[in-house]
Amino acid sequence: MDKRSFLKRVIFGVISLCASWPLYRFVTAERFRPPKKVTVAGSFRAGQHVMEHDFALFVTPDGPVAISRRCTHLGCIINYDERKGQFICPCHQSRFTRDGHYIAGPAKRDLPRYEVRTLEDNRGYVVLVT
Amino acid sequence: MKSAPGFGEASTAALTVSILSGFVVALQYEAALPFVSAVAMEAELPFGAFWRSLHFWSSQFFVVLLVAHIVQRLDALPRLSGKDAPASGKRRWAVAGLTFPLAVMALFTGYVLRFDGTGQAAGAIAEHLVLDIPFAGHALNRFLLAIEREGVNRVYTVHIFLTAVCWALGTWYHTRKVILSRDSFFTVATLCAVWACLVPAPIDLPGENVTLIKGPWFFIGIQELLRDVEPFYAGIMVPSIPVAILLFLPWADNRKNWFAALGVWLAFYLLFTAMGIMR
Repeated sequence: MDKRSFLKRVIFGVISLCASWPLYRFVTAERFRPPKKVTVAGSFRAGQHVMEHDFALFVTPDGPVAISRRCTHLGCIINYDERKGQFICPCHQSRFTRDGHYIAGPAKRDLPRYEVRTLEDNRGYVVLVT
Repeated sequence: MKSAPGFGEASTAALTVSILSGFVVALQYEAALPFVSAVAMEAELPFGAFWRSLHFWSSQFFVVLLVAHIVQRLDALPRLSGKDAPASGKRRWAVAGLTFPLAVMALFTGYVLRFDGTGQAAGAIAEHLVLDIPFAGHALNRFLLAIEREGVNRVYTVHIFLTAVCWALGTWYHTRKVILSRDSFFTVATLCAVWACLVPAPIDLPGENVTLIKGPWFFIGIQELLRDVEPFYAGIMVPSIPVAILLFLPWADNRKNWFAALGVWLAFYLLFTAMGIMR
């Protein structure tokens, strides 16, 4: 490659890079979204639980606990095995206790918890999915 | 009597059927309610199951026929890589070869778009794998997936875009014209339609406590590897190896060694796929 065509390529590359900047900035920007609030309506007793798409809500004697259903390995939605009292990931079989602690599999990390607010008059709960 | 279409022409025909049936399916598909609209298509809309099935199977056939076409055309490599061969021929092989990974990605995004158990899991895994790519992961995820924050909006856009790129690469870039006779198109379209009538496109209905989801057939080997190997290596490096070898074959000095490497990779991948299927 001679000097002239090398220079042409460099200029073309620089112009392409500059032209891609607005596209990169536009696509990679994340527009504001308010935190997702999920209302779980109803009156619950200690020991009961509810499965929502994003979390599992357990009502314990100490209060409600919302455990994320996203596996900490690769984000698959995990399911709760009531018989064993464990969460199992259907993608790679990671397992977690009902309070979200890691037991086995490739995930290695505990499941995160979400903030739960109790509605007045025990009408249910609001979970903030972040 | 006319001879049967070659794999290249047949793959163009299958892609055309896939695009046309995709337009039909898109008229009733809602990216805001992906699973609900896919199930409604299947259960409620007249001929919905047929159109979904035709789109699903013609897309599968396109990728399979494309692979057959690439294997069939490996005999062109000595001509492309000869001493007097122009560099443009090698470059054209590499660029046209990109159709293969892009077609697989288009097929993959189709699985995600139905957003059933398999689709959601496939999308979540792909997103985490892309985010694991050093430096470019975040930007690539925003360009291609971003499912966790945006739902399937971007996947839908990318699905259509990749299909258009496959069409463009396979026609005006690769052959400089659309090589597709009316007879070939109708032969492939009829075969796809008959197959779609006989074999429904899969969709997982909501079920409690599913303890095992198997991904798309071409992804099962990767899914199996992801159990034991770091995501970046299992999900990014391993599938990139055959694509890289395929694209750079015209520049290779000793092609036999590279064909052997492809064979070893394929055997290894088939082994992991078989292990995944048997679970």
